[in-house]
Amino acid sequence: MKKNGDKKRVVITGLGTVNSVAKGIGEFVSALKAGACGIGEITVFDTEGSRTKTGAEVTDFNPREISPGIPAGFSTKRMSRSDLLAMAAATEALHDSGLFPLPESLREETGVIIGGGAGGIPEAERLYREYLDRGAERAKFSLLASLFSASSADHIASKLNLMGPKTTFMTACSSGATAVGYGGDLIRDNLAKVIIAGGTEPLSMITYAGFNALRSVDPEYCKPFDKNRQGLSLGEGAGMMILESLEDALERGARIYGEVLGYGITCDSHHMTAPDPAASGAARSMMEALKDAGIASERVDYINAHGTATPANDVVETNGIKAVFKERAYKIPVSSTKSMIGHTLGAAGALEGLVSVLAIYHGFIPPTIHLTEPDPECDLDYVTEGAREKSPDIVLSNSFAFGGNNTTVVFGRYIEKGKRGIVNE
Amino acid sequence: MSRRVVVTGIGLVTPLGLGKDSFTERLMGGESAISRIESFDTSSLSSHLGAEVVDFDPKNYIDSKAIRKMDRISRMAAAAAAMAVNDSGLKIDDSNRDRVGIILGVSMGSTDVSLKIIDTIFNEGPTMINPILVPNTVMNAPAGHASIVLGLRGINSTVNHKEASAETATAYSAGEIANGRADAIMAGGADIISPFPYEVLTRFRALSPMGGGSEGARPFDKGRNGFVYGEGAGIILLESLDTAQERGAEIIAEVLGWGMSAAPSPLSDWPEDTKGPVLAMRRAVESANLKPTDIDYISASANGGKRLDRIEAESIREVFGGTGGEAKSPLVSSIKGAVGESLSSGGIRSAAAAISLKDGMIPPTLNLDDPIAPLSFVVGEKRVENISTAMVNGFSSGGTFVSLIFGKFDGSP
Repeated sequence: MKKNGDKKRVVITGLGTVNSVAKGIGEFVSALKAGACGIGEITVFDTEGSRTKTGAEVTDFNPREISPGIPAGFSTKRMSRSDLLAMAAATEALHDSGLFPLPESLREETGVIIGGGAGGIPEAERLYREYLDRGAERAKFSLLASLFSASSADHIASKLNLMGPKTTFMTACSSGATAVGYGGDLIRDNLAKVIIAGGTEPLSMITYAGFNALRSVDPEYCKPFDKNRQGLSLGEGAGMMILESLEDALERGARIYGEVLGYGITCDSHHMTAPDPAASGAARSMMEALKDAGIASERVDYINAHGTATPANDVVETNGIKAVFKERAYKIPVSSTKSMIGHTLGAAGALEGLVSVLAIYHGFIPPTIHLTEPDPECDLDYVTEGAREKSPDIVLSNSFAFGGNNTTVVFGRYIEKGKRGIVNE
Repeated sequence: MSRRVVVTGIGLVTPLGLGKDSFTERLMGGESAISRIESFDTSSLSSHLGAEVVDFDPKNYIDSKAIRKMDRISRMAAAAAAMAVNDSGLKIDDSNRDRVGIILGVSMGSTDVSLKIIDTIFNEGPTMINPILVPNTVMNAPAGHASIVLGLRGINSTVNHKEASAETATAYSAGEIANGRADAIMAGGADIISPFPYEVLTRFRALSPMGGGSEGARPFDKGRNGFVYGEGAGIILLESLDTAQERGAEIIAEVLGWGMSAAPSPLSDWPEDTKGPVLAMRRAVESANLKPTDIDYISASANGGKRLDRIEAESIREVFGGTGGEAKSPLVSSIKGAVGESLSSGGIRSAAAAISLKDGMIPPTLNLDDPIAPLSFVVGEKRVENISTAMVNGFSSGGTFVSLIFGKFDGSP
C-alpha cells in the first residue's frame, strides 16, 4: 500500500448542532454553561400506554431558520427528520468554518462521515401504521425513501455536491464518536481535505419502547451518577464538526476550535446490552485513545462521560476511569451532559465531541445536572455545582454502546508552535 | 506506520453454499442460487425470485447457547466469522484478543425484529414488547454477537451504506490494520431477505422485473430489469503481513489499496454520470501504487439495475479503456447473477476475488447474453487464468462508491 507521506494533524474548524437545548452553536454554549435541561414531555409521537413519557425532544424545528449554510434551492423532499437534523447541523458547521459556499477546488476532496441511529424509522413507523390501517395499496411507501441511516450522508453530499469519502457508522450509542475518530483518520492519512463528521438521531417509537422494555428509561429525567438513578432519558438531535489538516486550516486562516488527537475503539465481548462489570472494555477504550493520541494520562483535565444514568453504566464507567487514571481519577472533572440533552444514541458521541471542543475553546467545564444524592460507588468529581470556570487542554469523550462497542475520542487545545507543545506523534 | 495487509481466512454463508469449498465449486461451476422465494409468500407481489440461504444450521459453527440469543442475520454473521477464523488457523486467546476485531457492513439489518416490535406497539401496546428482541434491533448486533462468540476484544464496528456497506467495512478494516490499530480484523458484511423489505423493494421498482419482461438477474445485459434480492454473510479475515507470517499463516491474497468517493445522486438511484465511480476506481489504483493497466480483473457491483450497470460499464471504459487496441482491458464479471444482490454482498465478493487470485479462476457472469458495453466480460463459464490483481467495486444508490484492490501474494517481504 502506498504511504501517504507524513501523518497530518487534524483540527476542528467548524461546529453545528440542533438538539433539545439549542439550535445552533451559540445557543449550545449558553445552555451548557447555564446547565439547561432539554428533557420534558414527548410530543413527536403518542406516549399513550407507555411506561414513561419524557424525552429530550427538538421542538419548533425548521432547518432553514437554524442554519445559515443551507444551500440555495434546498428542498426537504424525501428527507427524514433525522436527515433534516443532520443537514441543519452540517451546513451550520460548514458555514461556521468559513467554507460556505464550499470552494470548487475542495469539492472532490470533501467527505461526509456520519454516525447514525434510527434514521428514517419514525417515517417508517408512520408508513407501517398506514399500511396496517389502510392496506398496502393506499399506504404512502415514499415515506421509506430515507429509511436507511445512510441517507443523511447521501443528502448532505448530494445537496452540497461533495465527492470525497462518505460513510455511515451504525454502532448504536458509539456511532457518532466513531464517525469523528474515523473522519480524523481520513484527514490524518491524507485521504480527504475536509471531512464533515458527526451524528444524527431522531426520537422513534421503536427505540423508545425498546429501551422501556429493557427498563432502562427514567420516568422523570435522567440522573447520571446519582444514587437514585433509574435509567436514561432518550433524546434527539445532531452534532457535526468540520475536520481539516492543521496546515490547510492555517493556510486559509481558519479559526481553530481544537484538535482531534486520536481515538480508541474496543469491544467488551461480554454481553449485548450490559457493560462488562470488570470495566475492561471501557478502560481499554480510554487507554487506546491516549496511546493513539500520544498523550500521557496525566495531561487529561476533563472527561465528558458516557454517563447514561443507567445503574450499570455509571458504576462501570467510574471504575474504568479509576483503572486508567488511578489516584488521579479523583482530581479530574467528569461530567455527563446527557443530563441536559438526553441520550441521543447515534448522535451522542458527536454531540459530546462538540461539548468537549467547546469546553476547550470557551474555557469551561459543563456540569452534570440532576445529580443531588451521590452514589457511594460513583465517587468522582462530577461537576455538580454548575458549570465550572476552568480551561481544559486535553479532554476525553467516552461513548459506550450496545454490542459492547466502546469508542473514546481525545480532543486537545490547539497551541501554536513554540508555545506549550502538543505531541501528536 | 503503514503495514501490509493480507487475507488469511474466508467464511461464507451464502445462497451458493456454506464455506469456502462448496461456494467455490458452485460459483466456478456457473451455478445459480436464484429461485422462487420459499420462506414467505410472494404471490401478491410483482417479484417472486430471491437468492436464499438454505440448509444453514448455525450449530455446525457456533455454540448453541449463544445461538438462542441471536436472530437470523447474527447467526449468519457469527457463523461466517467463526469459519473465517477456522480457515485462517488463527488462535484467539488472551495473548491477542485485544488486537483482533470485527467490522461489518450491514445494510438492512434485522428489519424483521424491528417490524415485530412495531407490530406489538400498534396491536398490543408498547409495554408488551419482548425485551429479548430489543438488542437485535441495532445494526451492530451481528458484530456484537460475533465478538462474544469468538472472544474478540479489539476494534469492533458496523457501517451502513447500502450496496457499498461491506466494501466500506473492508476498506476501514484494512486501513486500521495498516495504521496499527489492530493485528487482525474480520471484515465483510451480512444481510437477510425478509418479507417487508422485499415488498418495499418491489414497490420502489428496484427488483426484477421492474419494467416488465421475465424475472431474472442479468448484470450488464441489455435485457436487465432490476436486481434479484439475495442474502448471506461473507467475511474475510484480514491480518497484518508481519503477524500472519510470524504465525506461519497461509496467505490467500493481499489488500493493495482502496478508493472511496461520492457523487450527487438521487437517493434511491445512481447518478446519471460516471464521475463518482471513476474517482473511486482511480483513487484505488493510485493508493495501490498501480496503473490502470495493472488491473487484471474487476468484480463488478452491477446487479441488473438499469442505471448502476450502465454507469459502471461506462466508468470502467473511462478508467481502463475498452477491449482491443494497445490498452489491456481487465476481465470483468458480476457474480450477482448467481448470488443475487444482498446489499452487503461485498464480503462474499471480496472472498470470491481472493479465491480467484489464489486459484487462478474467474467466476462467470450469468445470464449475460447481450452486453451493454464492449468490455472483456467473463460469460457463461469460469475463465482459467492466473491474475495478479483484482478490483472489487461496491457502488451504492445515493451516490457512494468504494473500490478495493486485492493482489496475489507474491511472498516478497
